[in-house]
Amino acid sequence: MRKLVSYIVLIILCLFVLGPFIWMLATSVKPSYEIFSTHLQLFPSHWMFSNYVKAWKSAPFGRYFLNSFIVAATQTVFSLFFGSLAAFAFARFRFPGRQLLFVLLLITMMVPGEILLIPNYITIARLHWLSTYQALIVPWLVSVFTIFLMRQYFISLPQELFEAADLDGCSIMRVLFRILLPLTRPIWITAGLISFTASWNGFLWVLVVTNNPNIYTLPVGLINFSTDVGTAYNQLMAATAFSVVPLIILFLLGQRYFIQGIARSGLR
Amino acid sequence: MLVPTFLVTGVFVFYPIVNSFIISFFNWNMLSPVKRFVGLQNYWQIFHDPLFLVALRNTLFYAVCYVPVVLALGLIAALALNQRIRGSAGFRTILIVPYVTSIAGSGVIWQWIFEPNGVLNALLRYVGIPPQNWLNDPHWTLFNIIVMGVWQQLGYVSIIYLSGLQAISKEYYEAASVDGARSWHMFRHITWPLLTPSTYFLLILTSINALGIFLQVYVLYGQSAGPNNSAMTLVYYMYMNGFSNYRMGYASAAAYVFFFLVLIITLIQLLYSRRVNYDS
Repeated sequence: MRKLVSYIVLIILCLFVLGPFIWMLATSVKPSYEIFSTHLQLFPSHWMFSNYVKAWKSAPFGRYFLNSFIVAATQTVFSLFFGSLAAFAFARFRFPGRQLLFVLLLITMMVPGEILLIPNYITIARLHWLSTYQALIVPWLVSVFTIFLMRQYFISLPQELFEAADLDGCSIMRVLFRILLPLTRPIWITAGLISFTASWNGFLWVLVVTNNPNIYTLPVGLINFSTDVGTAYNQLMAATAFSVVPLIILFLLGQRYFIQGIARSGLR
Repeated sequence: MLVPTFLVTGVFVFYPIVNSFIISFFNWNMLSPVKRFVGLQNYWQIFHDPLFLVALRNTLFYAVCYVPVVLALGLIAALALNQRIRGSAGFRTILIVPYVTSIAGSGVIWQWIFEPNGVLNALLRYVGIPPQNWLNDPHWTLFNIIVMGVWQQLGYVSIIYLSGLQAISKEYYEAASVDGARSWHMFRHITWPLLTPSTYFLLILTSINALGIFLQVYVLYGQSAGPNNSAMTLVYYMYMNGFSNYRMGYASAAAYVFFFLVLIITLIQLLYSRRVNYDS
């Protein structure tokens, strides 16, 4: 009985969650004269896959994809590198002010990002970085969440491991990449996937610091396209589909890591 | 090893927090080199601007409505997922998909659903309800952004709740069922009290998110603040003054008003959660 209720609840919630995506896909393959039809129709009379080609050609989506990829990949690599260094220092070394510095970082996670928007915009403008890749990448090279996630994981490792490494006279980089990385691979994947997703989906900052389509990432490119396209909702939904589906696939492939990362965010 | 971390957070987190506070006492339009010190005038003006009061009211009203709805639905989903039914992992995966979908994509999808000729009205027509002008009728504004917000965050909330539920020892339930407790009593006296840490975490997190609402509005209403400014929010107000009017001092003051509001609400919740934990 309780299981039956659970099934019903979950099916209703999943329909609510998936409905909009299904409707997006359905619209994206309809011919123009069917998108506004008053009676509900899930499948088109003609499958218009050409909507995807049209949408792709009517805005520089290739460029947007490339930009999104460059920005997200760079941020992910650096946030893992810098994050693991900082996490290692916080987990392994005792130095004066360690606690204070860590708390300081944790506090930044509580600061709503919106209040940084204006002063950071001013900084970027002063550096003459508006509409450049630096503007999109540099402010996000460090992720406090990654540091926090990795520190927790590093602390749980046995102390002997590091002592053995010290005896062998390994350098910090060697310890980090030869010993720690292979042992803690899941947390690197988790942190990496979360940074990549956050960066790929980032919208507000890109909107504020770019006004050149050559620098737009996918989300800003998509919104721009949505204002240009008018009522060609089939093309708009096709563009939305190819903008959001790659990340959904990435999520499905790495969902175990994603869900662990999300669950860990509740452990602060 | 900490140098890169504190270099980047120093320049793009700590410095701006201070800088923004300083700028909020100046009149500065960014284009001119002149910054005029005006003291508290920006703050005074903000609190006397009817549009700001609209933004404040809309934001608080949204937070008060949205937070309980998303927590309740997330908890219900988590309780159902925790029943160890077949396909539970699949359901969990589906629920989280909107969370990894960009806000831009989500906004465009929902805009299409809420269209006068969109699927929502078509569905309503089937059950005999007249079509609504979802996006142009200010009465529906709050409903629209709540639906979209819940849709996005439901999976996140349910995963946090689910990990909270899984941390509760089975022994409590076994002892209770020996005593003949019914499931509602088990929920009321075991599950809900032991979930308190998850609830407080989510309460604080979703409140901060709800008070910062801006992008949902921006994408759903095609870069406007909705009909009759019905979707004007605090962050929208800040954004508008900063990036449409280039009044950087004024916008920074608005940002700080928003920051203090978030801080006060977070502190109240933290203090209250501490008291509750001592009581139990």
